[in-house]
Amino acid sequence: MSSASHVAAQKLDILVDTFISKLKRRQITGSYKIATETCQFLMRVISTSRWSTPQEFIQLIRKVGQRIQEAQPREFVTGNVVRRVLAIIRDEVNGTGDSLNNANVNNGAPSAPVDTSMFQLLSTVNTSSSTNLAIKENTRGQNDLRSVVIQGIRELSDEISSVNENIEAMTVDLIHENEVLLTPTPGSGTVLNFLLKASLKRKFTVLVTESYPNDIEECHLFAKKLAEANIETVIIPDSTVFAVMSRVGKVLIGARSVFANGGCVSNAGVAAVCECAKEHRTPVFAVAGLYKFSPTYPFDKDSLIEVGNSGKVMPFEDSDLVGKCEVTNPVFDYVIPEHIDIYITNMYVYFFLFINLFFQFIST
Amino acid sequence: MPPKSKKINESEEDEQKLQAIVLTDSYQTRFMPLTSIKPRCLLPLANVPLIEYTLEFLAQSNHVSEVYLMCSSHAEQIQEYLDDSKWVSPSSPFKKLQTITSHESRSVGDAMRDIDARGIINGDFVLVSGDVVTNLDLGKVVKLHKLRKQQDRDYICTMVLKQASELHRSRSFIEPSCFILDKETNRCLYYQDIPPVDGAKSTVSIDPEVLDNVGEFTVKNDLIDCHVDICTPVVPTIFQENFDYQDLRTDWVKGVLTSDLLKKHIYAYITSHHYAARVESWQTYDGISQDVIERWSYPIVPERNMLSDQTYSYESPHVYKEHNIRLSQSSKLQSRVVIGADTFVGDGTSISGSVIGRGCHIGHDVTIENSYIWNGAVIGDGCIVRHSIVAAGAVVKSNAMLNSGSVIGFGVVIDKDVVVPNETKIVKTPIKTLQDSAMFMSSSEDEDSEDEDEVNHAVAKKNDVDGNPLDSSEVRDANVVGANGVGFLYEEEEDDEETNKGYSGIMYQMAQLNVSDVSVASTTVGAHHHGSKRKKRTYSTNSMYISGDEDGEEEEEEEEEDFHKEALATVERAMENNHDIDTALLELNTLRMSMNVTYHEVRLSTSTALVERVDHFIATDTLGVKDAVDKVFGQWSALFKRQVFEDSDQIDLLLIVQKLCCHLNESYRSMVFLFVLMQLYDAEVVEEDNVYLWWNDKESNTEEMRVVRDKAEKWIEWLQQAESDSEEDSEEDDE
Repeated sequence: MSSASHVAAQKLDILVDTFISKLKRRQITGSYKIATETCQFLMRVISTSRWSTPQEFIQLIRKVGQRIQEAQPREFVTGNVVRRVLAIIRDEVNGTGDSLNNANVNNGAPSAPVDTSMFQLLSTVNTSSSTNLAIKENTRGQNDLRSVVIQGIRELSDEISSVNENIEAMTVDLIHENEVLLTPTPGSGTVLNFLLKASLKRKFTVLVTESYPNDIEECHLFAKKLAEANIETVIIPDSTVFAVMSRVGKVLIGARSVFANGGCVSNAGVAAVCECAKEHRTPVFAVAGLYKFSPTYPFDKDSLIEVGNSGKVMPFEDSDLVGKCEVTNPVFDYVIPEHIDIYITNMYVYFFLFINLFFQFIST
Repeated sequence: MPPKSKKINESEEDEQKLQAIVLTDSYQTRFMPLTSIKPRCLLPLANVPLIEYTLEFLAQSNHVSEVYLMCSSHAEQIQEYLDDSKWVSPSSPFKKLQTITSHESRSVGDAMRDIDARGIINGDFVLVSGDVVTNLDLGKVVKLHKLRKQQDRDYICTMVLKQASELHRSRSFIEPSCFILDKETNRCLYYQDIPPVDGAKSTVSIDPEVLDNVGEFTVKNDLIDCHVDICTPVVPTIFQENFDYQDLRTDWVKGVLTSDLLKKHIYAYITSHHYAARVESWQTYDGISQDVIERWSYPIVPERNMLSDQTYSYESPHVYKEHNIRLSQSSKLQSRVVIGADTFVGDGTSISGSVIGRGCHIGHDVTIENSYIWNGAVIGDGCIVRHSIVAAGAVVKSNAMLNSGSVIGFGVVIDKDVVVPNETKIVKTPIKTLQDSAMFMSSSEDEDSEDEDEVNHAVAKKNDVDGNPLDSSEVRDANVVGANGVGFLYEEEEDDEETNKGYSGIMYQMAQLNVSDVSVASTTVGAHHHGSKRKKRTYSTNSMYISGDEDGEEEEEEEEEDFHKEALATVERAMENNHDIDTALLELNTLRMSMNVTYHEVRLSTSTALVERVDHFIATDTLGVKDAVDKVFGQWSALFKRQVFEDSDQIDLLLIVQKLCCHLNESYRSMVFLFVLMQLYDAEVVEEDNVYLWWNDKESNTEEMRVVRDKAEKWIEWLQQAESDSEEDSEEDDE
């Protein structure tokens, strides 16, 4: 038995290590892909892991979650998915685990009400070891719990993969005929799908910023796809954003992750675009799937922003400059909450001021 | 049927996966004295051992399944390191990670021959050195490799080169190399190593033959050669066949490209989007460290946390901190700084462009600029450290000053107020000789005692810059480390006056460490005997070859012996397999050039082979004496036509043959000699006049040589007779 559990533990280690190195090597990139891969990974973890009490189970998932988040601290999606999965587990434990709660009470341990609030999901709950009774009760339910949770993750995974469709459903209400839209995030698949869907019902013009240097290829690809769908598309240099802003009806951005205060992280250059939009009182719409909403608060902006390859800003070949000037190439930008008017998610559309309410809503 | 299809799948999968050979040893001594304690590939770059970068690169693309690490010096350290690393854990991306220890290897060539001998290679493989830092996408290169392999039957290898510029900080200044490439296909036409950047203007001479059938070509002297090669299995066999190849580039690439025999093609892959460079000198160590810190090699940056216990996080402007660092309030991390865990930085200290390891203690009011301080080092209050390396465990006491280019070795203690001059390397225990440490295990006993004697003198002798040879290369020097310091001055064989020539890359001069790279490989062979001599090398910039004279002769002898063996084998092979004469000649000629021997040796070897064969036929009774000679010499005497040019050569040849025949069995040796003589005469290898000259030569008439003369005498007489007859005839005709 012990050797079997040892083997299982080893299997788990391999699983976790492999996923971590995949994240570290950036073999998985893009929040959508990371989200779905994390779901897959957690399913595998749950099916190989062994535990005797639900608390142990939760502990285990939390630990794994922490490790994978540290592997790529600027990808908040992993953390979000882990939190969602923990919520599923706690829901199950709470719903079926009367015996568990009783056991806790019997032990005199603080019977922590299992809180599914996203803010408290990661807070520590000190659970004393349960009695043999509880273990007995639970081993019966272990397999049930496992399969229920896996089912839950599958649903979550489905939700993530259908994000675009759900967002698209709202296009008609948000885009007007003959409107000029500006998007500074050509790398976002959600924005692309949003516009493509809208083009079926509406006729409009899209301005795409060049997004030099990190997204320039994506920009061209994006423009090409829009043009193929018969949308009038113009690529503009990043510097002309302010000049064209007066003619723009709406700014559409794709968010990488949204934080508890309503701010979000997006591609580099977006913050400046939003600033311009504010100046012209142009509304800024941010599109983001629910899995991008993170309950963390952006205290330290530095820790949110990834700094990329200096070689994209300046050619490495230029030995007269390399080493003699400092080059920084931030890949992300933090956009303050005041600059975003509306969040369009796969479930609802929110005004930024209500984002706190929204967080409370989704966490209950 | 089903099992068959499965098999096909498997083989396809196997085909996709490559093997990787990592050359952990550089076979150079550029990082002395530090490499006497730690191998180069375990030296930290931005607090990560170099080998990690290489392995990470191989792991990044899922193309590599088996990794073999060729180790020679410090093999046990490398093994130990890997045993604890994530690369051997079950989650390792490699199916197999094996270290191969070959202590005998003294060069890349030796290692490759060893690989071939072990029969490890079963398909295409990646050959990398263990000091590569790159974010290259191996998949792309492999794709190209496969394409080229299909298109070009003679394709054997793709070299990965990084576009840079001539004087780039991450490009080697000591062995800059020039690639001549076909503009269209990127086929490498020619390779030329050029003298160090500071050297006089150099020229590249190209054999016009190389450029036959080539449309446009480019001459490139602005590439970083990162020594990442994707090779076909032919590559190790070429090394095996050409046992004189030592270096991967100067010997192998050049050899293959210029060889008339091989007709193989090497291609280049030039990348400008990806980062790729190789830590092969102090100068590139500095350059690449800065590149990594400044994120040119993104995503290979410190906060990638390549070692699983690392916890780096990034802060603007290029400051990387691990957890649990204590920075005093008034300390200043200006920019481009990496600091490891458990390090303390005191008040008023300012650090810029530097890497500080784990567990270091940096005192108050210290200035550190562009320096590399490895784990556990202590820098006292008020020190100034500029462009230096302080190795692990070293202690620099308060108010000391380290000037540009100084290297403080492992565990050295520098006393208070000491000023370490430019380009000073200090080691804890004296290093015997360059070669000893390079070979590590071959330090001989008597040399040890000798050195200790010298050390006991404890004379504080300063280097004599103008070239007086010193008695010993290391001197216990209180002036260098201070009264309470621990350490010895480590001295290189070669210093240079260009110290302050204004190269922006720091420690460039150190890169020039010693002998040229080509000679390292060959000199180490004889190093065991020459170690003590070598120490006394004269001390001037141009000493590289001057002082090589004393060991030169011995080396030459060795070479001749090698040549003799190889040439014998070549001729024998040719006769056995019935090669055509041209091929055999070509092989011999190549051999002669590569070994740099005279035609005398070639003739000697050829005739030895031929005579031995004749002897073999006769001794085994396969053929009669005359038939045997006719058969062998009839066919093969043409070989001599390209070995004998002048009259003296003919005499030389005859002498050789005579001498060889003397060693044959008494019963038939004179017969053999006679027939050989006749054959050579008939084939017009030797002319009549020269036969007479030889006949009258004193050397052919000595005691031992005379034994074969009896039969030949008659022939000579006949020859003379015939001549005089014909002369008479002609005279008669005239009349």
